[in-house]
Amino acid sequence: MKRLGAWAAAAGLLLLAIGLGNGAAAAGGERVKVTGEVIDTWCYITEIMFAEGSAHHQCAVWCAAGGVPVGILGDDGKVYMVLKVGDDATSVANPAVLKIQSHRVTVEGDHYRRDGLDYLVVSQVVGDDGVVKVNHDEWGIQPFGE
Amino acid sequence: MRTIIKTAAFCGLLLAPGVASAADSWGLPEEEIVRFDAKVVDLLCELTGDCPADCGAGKRQLGLLTGEGTLVLPVKNATPFSGAADELIEFCGKDVTADGLFSTNRGYKVFALQFVREAPDGKWRRANRFLPKWAEANGFDPKGEEVKQWFRNDPEVRAVLAADGVLGLGPEADEAYRKSQE
Repeated sequence: MKRLGAWAAAAGLLLLAIGLGNGAAAAGGERVKVTGEVIDTWCYITEIMFAEGSAHHQCAVWCAAGGVPVGILGDDGKVYMVLKVGDDATSVANPAVLKIQSHRVTVEGDHYRRDGLDYLVVSQVVGDDGVVKVNHDEWGIQPFGE
Repeated sequence: MRTIIKTAAFCGLLLAPGVASAADSWGLPEEEIVRFDAKVVDLLCELTGDCPADCGAGKRQLGLLTGEGTLVLPVKNATPFSGAADELIEFCGKDVTADGLFSTNRGYKVFALQFVREAPDGKWRRANRFLPKWAEANGFDPKGEEVKQWFRNDPEVRAVLAADGVLGLGPEADEAYRKSQE
């Protein structure tokens, strides 16, 4: 019985090791609900241009298609880098994500904070209000005006 | 002038003259020109333990994990409107020397990759693999004019913008806006 217990413990450790794979720093995320705009993180963080709402929609689609990380600009002011949506782990040029660029969404998922950045593994999108920030009259079409 | 520099930087036009030289300034907020060694990692793997052997075969965002354990997020490469995953995927699990720019703004520090080589002494190359990969994937001549404006010729982009409009508010809103600008 003792031997069986030792094997079970070893198997458990092995499964844990396999589950963690190479992600040495892997740890549980914090369960969150986030509401905000789906954005292009490069343009928004660097402020290389105005990067919100309808004025930046086309550019946001371009950047998402080009593999720039897509984020959610939360109402809390944080930029959450989206790494996964549901069962879909594609975070580079994901066609489904292209279609919700600039949308105001509400999502549930796990938040990971690492080295000053906020990452989000979305379990589900619970709300999608479309593009609600209508600002092209003020800002034009970024960045080229067409 | 600052606007011009920013636009040029955004378009990836300000490239270093030689592949062994340090990155050029793009005039970014709190910009740091840097070169550092790091391991290329799958971000989802690093954070959650979900670890396919191939870093997701180019479909996942990649990170740069330094020897000190800092996870750097490469957000941009050296071509217009494109990220760094296509530049780094071939180095999955390997150490590289990354050459580029940190920018810190709005509370976040991100990295733009301009040059990369396998550490410690691989051959330097520009972080511009995205364009030939895009050309091959979409049936264009890698040296053709369409590739320079890949973002206007990408089938997926064209389909999304045709359906939702460049403003994301539908084609009718685009038309109304264009008329308002005449």
